[in-house]
Amino acid sequence: MPKNLPRTLALCLTALFLLYPLWGLASPVGPWRWDTSGLPSALATSFGLTGVALAIVVAIGTPLAFSLRGAARSTRVAFEAVVLLSVLMPPLALGLLLALAFGPATALGGLLLRLGIPTSNDSAAFVATQVYASLGYYLLGARAALEAVPRELEQSAALLGLAPRKVLWRITLPLARLGLAAALSLAWVRALGEFGAIMVTAYYPHGIPVQLWVDLQDQGLPAVLPLLVVFLLTALPLPWALRLLAGTRDYA
Amino acid sequence: MLDCRIQKARRAYEVTVDILAGGERVALFGPSGSGKSTVLSCLAGLETPDAGHIQCGHETWFPPPLALHYRSVGYLRQREPLFPHLSVAENVQFSLDAATRARERAWITEMRERLDLGALWHTRPHHLSGGQARRVALARTLCRRPRLVLLDEPFAGLDRPLARALARILKDWQERLGFILLAVDHDPLVLEGLCPRVIAMEEGRVVQQGGWAELRQRPATPILRALLDLDP
Repeated sequence: MPKNLPRTLALCLTALFLLYPLWGLASPVGPWRWDTSGLPSALATSFGLTGVALAIVVAIGTPLAFSLRGAARSTRVAFEAVVLLSVLMPPLALGLLLALAFGPATALGGLLLRLGIPTSNDSAAFVATQVYASLGYYLLGARAALEAVPRELEQSAALLGLAPRKVLWRITLPLARLGLAAALSLAWVRALGEFGAIMVTAYYPHGIPVQLWVDLQDQGLPAVLPLLVVFLLTALPLPWALRLLAGTRDYA
Repeated sequence: MLDCRIQKARRAYEVTVDILAGGERVALFGPSGSGKSTVLSCLAGLETPDAGHIQCGHETWFPPPLALHYRSVGYLRQREPLFPHLSVAENVQFSLDAATRARERAWITEMRERLDLGALWHTRPHHLSGGQARRVALARTLCRRPRLVLLDEPFAGLDRPLARALARILKDWQERLGFILLAVDHDPLVLEGLCPRVIAMEEGRVVQQGGWAELRQRPATPILRALLDLDP
């Protein structure tokens, strides 16, 4: 028996197991109904608002992850405990807690409403929920990526006369970029695919996951599968490529 | 001119060293753990002395401690890492902006040729051998012509002919450019070829200084005698 046969078999079986659900797209559910009336709006909502949410996540998360490198160990552990809590929170529980904390009946929700920022069934609620759902994923990934940059390289750059800001741009961020991209891709997938929390806080406007659910309830599988294919084709390639790229880096 | 007095507490003893050096090459020589690297680290700005002063030319580096990127210092550490995402050329010219690169083209070409980096110029560091990486790191350290050059075991891991060749090149450049060179190495033969003046240290203190001939004729301590291989 070839030496690598058991490993090859195990890898192939696992890959088959993981890819098998895609076979569901070939299920005999009858002719697909390309009723695209809700599709453009759902795509625009999901991609547009996820883009806004991710911009916020990166703007908050990157400097925060960077500043954590210099923090005391106790501070890092305490902060990571909080971040982990948000990551481990079941989506539906997160949605319920967000609705209870920011709902229009609460003091904060009422104040935001008076300022013109509705906290329920609105784009702002949609984005806020996505930020809550994905910030922790990005923070943990970004922190690991920045932590992996050897301090000696940053010291070398400083010894060569570079100010800290230039060290960040020329050494730290370029060396961490693939790790940061991988963290971003995780956050992107988490935010774009968010369903449980969004169902509670921002049923309207419909993003793709909610639209899928609505179509499944109202029209059945023949109407859902086309939307599902579009969703997979638009959502997966970028983070998939980023993760693969991050795994093939030849330095650091 | 470098004028410094460095006091820095270590676990076992306190390092206390006075150094006065013009545009010359000085060896810091002594057994492992005698505080040589601590002195270099304080001069570079990686560590802050507990007391003393560091004056380089007209600039005061300590006290108060001047941020390391403001010091005109080149520090080649024992295991100086190269920037892995940059080519050899980009590593060497890292400290220069575009305008300075254009102005320093002749100097960069000279370093590339004398350190035999031409064939490696567009290579990434992970393809380099230890000796090649050391030569690239040396070129990167000298590229912006620092006033003070600190070399911590610059020839560690290199065969003796290559170490001697590098020492000759460094000697030429120091004489032409006039920077102050402080070098630390375990091998007295290599140091002797590079630095005419030596400061011998033990347990954080200067025990002897002067020329190598004087050190060899009358070593101040048994440890120095042993290091210089003078025991019968």
